[in-house]
Amino acid sequence: MKTNEVPQDGSILEKSGVRDVCYAVDENGEYKQVISVGWDPKNDAINYAWQTINEECEEIKKEIIAGKKSPLALHIHRLVMTPEILAGYSGFTKHQIKKWCKAKHFNKLSESELEILARALNIEVKQLVSTD
Amino acid sequence: MQLNFIHKPSGHCENGVVSNLLRFYGIELSEAMVFGLGSGLFFAHMPFIRLHGMAVTSFRPLPGEIFSRVVMLLNIKMKKFKFRDKELAMKALDDVLLKGTPVGMLVGVYHLPYFPKEYRFHFNAHNICVVGKEDNVYTVSDPVVVEKCTLTYDELKLVRFANGTYPPKGRMYYITDISSKKTLDKEAIRRSILRNCSRMLRIPIPMFGVKGIRYLAGRMRKWEKRLGSKKAALNLAQVIRMNEEIGTGGAGFRFIYAAFLQEASDLMNEPILREFSNEMTSIGDMWRDFSYNAARLFKKRDPESITYDQLADKLILIADREEQLFTGLEKLMKDAK
Repeated sequence: MKTNEVPQDGSILEKSGVRDVCYAVDENGEYKQVISVGWDPKNDAINYAWQTINEECEEIKKEIIAGKKSPLALHIHRLVMTPEILAGYSGFTKHQIKKWCKAKHFNKLSESELEILARALNIEVKQLVSTD
Repeated sequence: MQLNFIHKPSGHCENGVVSNLLRFYGIELSEAMVFGLGSGLFFAHMPFIRLHGMAVTSFRPLPGEIFSRVVMLLNIKMKKFKFRDKELAMKALDDVLLKGTPVGMLVGVYHLPYFPKEYRFHFNAHNICVVGKEDNVYTVSDPVVVEKCTLTYDELKLVRFANGTYPPKGRMYYITDISSKKTLDKEAIRRSILRNCSRMLRIPIPMFGVKGIRYLAGRMRKWEKRLGSKKAALNLAQVIRMNEEIGTGGAGFRFIYAAFLQEASDLMNEPILREFSNEMTSIGDMWRDFSYNAARLFKKRDPESITYDQLADKLILIADREEQLFTGLEKLMKDAK
């Protein structure tokens, strides 16, 4: 890659202070550092992953309306958590978290249990019991 | 309390932290030199480690290895810790920091507030360096951010004890003594190149090094049949993200290694290393071409986009070129003594 070929396809990084430092050769064949704000194929890969997550969330919402799954299942998925990771952050077991992903078990949760879950997910209890 | 710490951004977090740390002690090594000395170029495709339910592809060795290698070659003394107790981990950090020592540490990126939202996946092998503290706020030198940034006590505690694949467990490291430091010589560079060659060529497990690239190619050919087109595309997107995203590197790492070979050529007075550097540059370009075509595949906007088989063929070509390069490099370094 030549220094003048380093891509500057900003669509994700430019909002933040994060940048990619790229190495490229200048006209004399010497390596130089060039700061880049991103590259389209990489942005596409990230956006594709998020697009898939959003589509799957819509599916989960349908199941919540049908009364099968709980809003917890949605938030876990939306926040790219897994029952295992949430278990690590909240102190509950993986099995408990999985159980509460079903609506009938989720509805029996106490206020304090909801609060712990919400804190581990870094959201409000109000949001945890809704599908926003 | 703020340390007089010069922050320079870098292409890869661990190189950057090590290079910045050494500069604090008056040892000026470029990022590329740190990467090369740490034998940082690697490839691994590991179906037995999962991230978001998919196999992990990595272009670097385990976190912490570059630092260990570099301080060993320079005969610098360092300490590293990991913790079970969160408060204890924070207290240990404060103790060392208040004595005027910058502390490198491993963190998860998921809860890092200065990362763009899109980047917040459970990736737990990011390196930062803590260089100051005012009341409850730590000053942090993160090599992927242009300027120094800040984290509160609670934020830092959270990212040091992130959960998920390869949890950082509060890992931290710092330099304790540079009095017996050796100057960088030909032999250290020669040994680090030899070690990198051996890691790329001689690990007797098919998932690592050049063999790992072929292994990924083989699995890629079966993705569509085994997982269906949707899951296959997701797997491919994951490989591209690991190929291009900060932290894991891929194509970018090939260019950093090429820059290292260029520097090594001057330091060792070995002009032929420049040719290896040029070859490495063109391999890096091949990886970029792979990413570019892969992105076209999972976007499916292109009517003439290529198939998984064709992508795998590209990987096989890359593997052949890398095998050739490292074999040649190994021979050159063995003869150099």
